[in-house]
Amino acid sequence: MTDILPSSDSVRQLVAQFDAELAQAKSTRDRQTVRDRFLGRKSGVVAAWMQMIATAPPDQKKQIGRWANELKKAIEEIWLGYQQAEAVVVGLQGIDVTLPGRAPRLGHRHPLTLVRDRLEEIFTRMGFAVVEGPEVEDEWHCFDALNMPAEHPARDMQDTLYLASPIPGDSPADHRTLLRTHTSSMQIRYMQAHAPPIRIVVPGRVYRRDDLDLTHSPAFGQIEGLAVGEGLSLADLKGTLLAFARQMFSPTVRVRFRPSFFPYTEPSAEIDLSCWQCEGAGCAMCKKTGWIEIGGCGMVHPAVFEAVGYDAERNTGFAWGIGIERIAILRYQVEDIRLFYENDLRFLEQFPY
Amino acid sequence: MRLLVSWLRDFVEVTASAEEIAGGLDLRGFEVAAIEPLGDGDAVIDVEVTANRPDCLSVVGLAREVATLYDRPITLPSSEDGAKIQLKPITTGMSDRLSVTIADDELCPRYAAAVAEATGVKSPAWMTARLQAAGVRPISAIVDITNYVLLELGHPTHAFDLEKLAGAEIRVRRASPGEAITTLDGINRTLDADMLVIADRDRPQAVAGVMGGARAEVSPTTRIVAFESAYFKPASVRRTSKRLGLKTEASSRFERGADCNVPAIALQRIGALMDRIGAGRIVGPLIDVYPRRREPARIHMRRVRLATLLGATVPDREVERILRTLGLAVDAAADGWDASPPTFRVDLLREVDLIEEVGRHFGFDKLPATFPVVTAPAAAPDPRISRDQLVRRVMTAAGLSEAVTFGFIEAHAAEPFAAAGSDRPIGIANPLSAKFDTLRPSLIPGLLDAVAHNRRHGADDVGLFEVGTRFSGHGETRAVGVAWTGSTAAVHWSDSPRAIDFFDVKGIVERVCGALGVMPRFEPCHEAFLVPGQAARIVAASANGSAPILGVMGRITADLADARGLPQQDQLFVAELNLDAMWRARIETTEAVRPLPRHPFVVRDLSIVVADTLPAEIIRGTIQAAGEKAPAPLAGITFFDRYHGKGIPDGAVSVSVRMTFQAADRTLTDAEAQASVDTILASLVREHAAVQR
Repeated sequence: MTDILPSSDSVRQLVAQFDAELAQAKSTRDRQTVRDRFLGRKSGVVAAWMQMIATAPPDQKKQIGRWANELKKAIEEIWLGYQQAEAVVVGLQGIDVTLPGRAPRLGHRHPLTLVRDRLEEIFTRMGFAVVEGPEVEDEWHCFDALNMPAEHPARDMQDTLYLASPIPGDSPADHRTLLRTHTSSMQIRYMQAHAPPIRIVVPGRVYRRDDLDLTHSPAFGQIEGLAVGEGLSLADLKGTLLAFARQMFSPTVRVRFRPSFFPYTEPSAEIDLSCWQCEGAGCAMCKKTGWIEIGGCGMVHPAVFEAVGYDAERNTGFAWGIGIERIAILRYQVEDIRLFYENDLRFLEQFPY
Repeated sequence: MRLLVSWLRDFVEVTASAEEIAGGLDLRGFEVAAIEPLGDGDAVIDVEVTANRPDCLSVVGLAREVATLYDRPITLPSSEDGAKIQLKPITTGMSDRLSVTIADDELCPRYAAAVAEATGVKSPAWMTARLQAAGVRPISAIVDITNYVLLELGHPTHAFDLEKLAGAEIRVRRASPGEAITTLDGINRTLDADMLVIADRDRPQAVAGVMGGARAEVSPTTRIVAFESAYFKPASVRRTSKRLGLKTEASSRFERGADCNVPAIALQRIGALMDRIGAGRIVGPLIDVYPRRREPARIHMRRVRLATLLGATVPDREVERILRTLGLAVDAAADGWDASPPTFRVDLLREVDLIEEVGRHFGFDKLPATFPVVTAPAAAPDPRISRDQLVRRVMTAAGLSEAVTFGFIEAHAAEPFAAAGSDRPIGIANPLSAKFDTLRPSLIPGLLDAVAHNRRHGADDVGLFEVGTRFSGHGETRAVGVAWTGSTAAVHWSDSPRAIDFFDVKGIVERVCGALGVMPRFEPCHEAFLVPGQAARIVAASANGSAPILGVMGRITADLADARGLPQQDQLFVAELNLDAMWRARIETTEAVRPLPRHPFVVRDLSIVVADTLPAEIIRGTIQAAGEKAPAPLAGITFFDRYHGKGIPDGAVSVSVRMTFQAADRTLTDAEAQASVDTILASLVREHAAVQR
C-alpha cells in the first residue's frame, strides 16, 4: 500500500479504504492492525508519504506535503471517532458507569440550626461562651430583675404566655410560671452564678402571645449577648456587632444604632445594618430604606446590676438580642416565617447536611 | 403620635422639610411609621413614642426634640401679651361656684379646676383641621379645646357640666365597693375600692384619669363648665384602666406619667383658647389643690462616666447645650454637671438617664466602633450545646432531616402522651388560640404533624427528628424525637427498597446512645400512642443497678395516625429520648485507644432452635455467661439469622449466632474454640432447651 503515490484521488481513495477496513474489523486487535498500516510510524502509508517529501523534486515538495498532511488529518480524525466509540463499547462489556449511584441517605439540618451554629461560631471566636437557659421562667428573672417592675406594660397578659399551673425549676420550691419572652432572663441567671468579667451568648427559644402569620410567630429563636467588665462602652458594643455583621452577612456592612427604649439597657438602641444587597441604594430587602433592623441592644442598666448584686459603679456592660428567624429570613431570603415551622422536606432539603 | 408639622413650627422655627424632620426624629429614638403629605405643603409625621417618653405624646414634647436636634430655640406658652402660644393669666384662689377636695392625695397629688361660662359656638376651621390631622374627631368647642390642649401640651383635662354636679362640688376619692358609673361610652361599670373617682356630693362623675361619666357630660347647650386639670398616680390609673378594660388617650398618658407641674398651665391655655375662639370665658379663680409641691430632682453626672459609657468624649459645651434645650437646668460641677430634669421628664431619674440623653443627641453615629479588650479567658460553654450538636450529627448521618416545631400544641394532641399525676400536660393560662394551649409533654405530636404535612404534599419517605424542650409537672427536659415512615432508601434501579421497620429506628436509638456513651436496654412496654407488641421502653443499663428510663420507641397506632391526618396504611415509627437523662446515665470512658489485637481470631457459627418467645437478649446473656467459663475468650456475639417456617416446629424459631473468639496473649487452637462452643451449646441446651440444627 505504501506504493500508492500521493495525489488528490489517492487521498480520497485511502481515506475511504481506511474507513471501510475499520468497519469490517471484528476486534480491537484487528482495528489496531488496520490503524498501524495507515498510521504506523515505520510502515504506515502516512509515514511513507511524509518521507517522500524529502526525496521529491523541489517543485513537487509542496504539493506532496499538502497531500500527506491532508491524509494524516483525515485518517487521524476517523481513528479518534473509533476510539471514542470503542470506549463506550468497552464500558458496556463491564458495567454501565452512567447509571445513577446509590446515594447514602443524609438528613438536612434545619436552617434555624444552621444560623444558630454560625452565630455561636462567630461569637465564640470573639471570646463569648455559649450558654443556655430554661424556657419556662419566673417573673423575677424574666421581668423584675430586668428593671421591669410589676406595673410595666411589657408584663401585660397580651404579651406574655402564663402557665395554668407553675412547674418546678432547679428545686421544687422554684416556681416557674411563664414562658420566657426573651433570652435576657438568662443574663440574670448567669450573673447570679458568675462574677465579672463575663462574655456570654445565649441562644434559645422565646415565646410571645402573638398570632402565627407571614411575619410573626408565637415562638421564635433569639440570641442574647452579654459582656460585663470594667470600662466597656457603647462604642465597644458597636464594634462587637460590626464584627459579627461582617462575618455573618458581608465584609462591607455598616452598623447604625438608632436610639430606643428597653427597660434593662441604657442607653438603648435598635441595631440597623446597611443593606448588603443594594449597598444602601434601596431595594425590596431593606424596604427601600437602605437599612435593615436585626435586633435591639444597649448598655446594661445599673438597676440590673443592682438586682444581681454586682457593683454597678465598677462594672459596665453591654447586651443585645437578635432574632434567629430574622437572620435566617435575611440570609436565605425566606418570605414566610411559617416555612420554618412547617418542616416541609422540599424546604429542608435545600439546606446543607 | 400624629405630629402635624405646621403645629410643630409654632414651637420651633426650623427650615427643614417634613421628611428631614422625620429622618432626624427617627435617629433620635422616635421611630417614624409614616409621613403623610397634606395638600398645602404641610404634613403629618406618624411617630412611635417609646413607653418611657409620655412627654413626647404632645407637640411641645416633640418640639423640644426637634429644637435640640437643629440647635434652635423653643417657643414655650406664655401669658405675655402677643405670645405665640398664649396663656390666660388667672389668679389662684378659692371659688364660690365650685369646691374641690382631695380625699386621697396619694392617688391624686394635685387637682386644679376652673369654672367657665360657655357660649355654645362651634370650633373654628383652623382648630378642627388641626384636630383632624392629629386623628381626633371634633365634637364641640369645649371638648375640642380640651383635646387641643391634650395634643399640644400632652396633658389630659376634662370638662364637666357644672350644673349637673350635685352640690357644685368635686370630691376626689376612692370608689366605694360596688359603686357604679355610666362612662361616656355609655357602658355601666362597677367600680372597686382601689379605683379613684371624681365625684360630686352624691355620686362618681368620672373615673379619675380614665374616662368621664355620661351624667355630667358637656353638650352644646351646656352653660357652665368646670374644667379639671389634675395629676393622678400612674400605677393607680394603670390598674384601673386594666381592670375596667378601658384604655383612653388620657389613661395612656397618666399611666406612663404626666407632668404634675403642668395642670395650672393647661387651664391657662384652655382659658386663652376659649377667649380666642369665643367659646366663652373663665370666670373666677384657678382652684389649685396641690398639698405637696413636687420639686425637680437634682442629678449629678460625671464627665468621666459619660465618656466611659459612650466610649467617646462629648465636648462640655455640647453636653450643656443638649441638656438645656431638652429643658433641664444645668450647673457645672468640678467633675461634671448637676442637672435638674423638668417634671415632665419622668424618665430622668439617675446619672445613666442623663448620659443616654447626651449620647442620643450627640449622635450614636459619631461613636467609634471599637473592640473590647479581652480580660479573661472565655468561660466553659454549656455542655448541652455540644451534646445537642452531636445528636444532630448522628441524626443527619442516619438520613433524618431536622424539624423545628412549637413548644405548645393543642390539648387534644397532647392527651395520648400524658401520664397520670404530675406528668399531666401543663396548660397555658392565656392562650391566643386553642391550637397552642398546652405545653408539649413530648416532641412526638409535633413530629407527627410534620410527617402528615409532608405526606399530604406527596413525600413517601419522611424521616424527621427534632431536638427540643418538653414540659411536665416535674419541669422541663431536653429531648430528641424521631418519626420515620416510608422506605429505608430512595428508589434505585438495582433493587427495590425495603419499608422502614422497628429495627431501623432502634438502630438510630442505639447509635445516639453509643454517641453519648449510654448503654441502652430495650423492654417491651405499653403506651397509649404505640401499637401493642411494637413498643419498647429504653432504659439505661448502669453498673449500680439503677435503670433510669431514657425514652420510648415503637410504631404509632393507626387511630392516632388517622387522628393526625396521616394515611392509615402508613407504618410510622417513632422514638423519643430524654437527653438530660442520657447525659446523667452516660458512662465516662477513657479517650485512650485500645491496642489492636496481635493474635488472630477464630469464628464459629451455631444454629439452634428455641421457643420463639425467648428474647434474643436472654440468649445473648446465656452465651456471654457460658463464654466466661469457656477456655477461649469470647470477643463478640452476632445474631446473623432468624428463621421461622419449614422444618421448624410451630412456636419455635431457628436462631443463628456467630461467635468470635480471641485471646490477647496467644493464638487459639481449634480444640480450644471447639471446647468453648461445646460449653456454650451445653448451657443453651440446659437453660433454654435449645436444639442444635
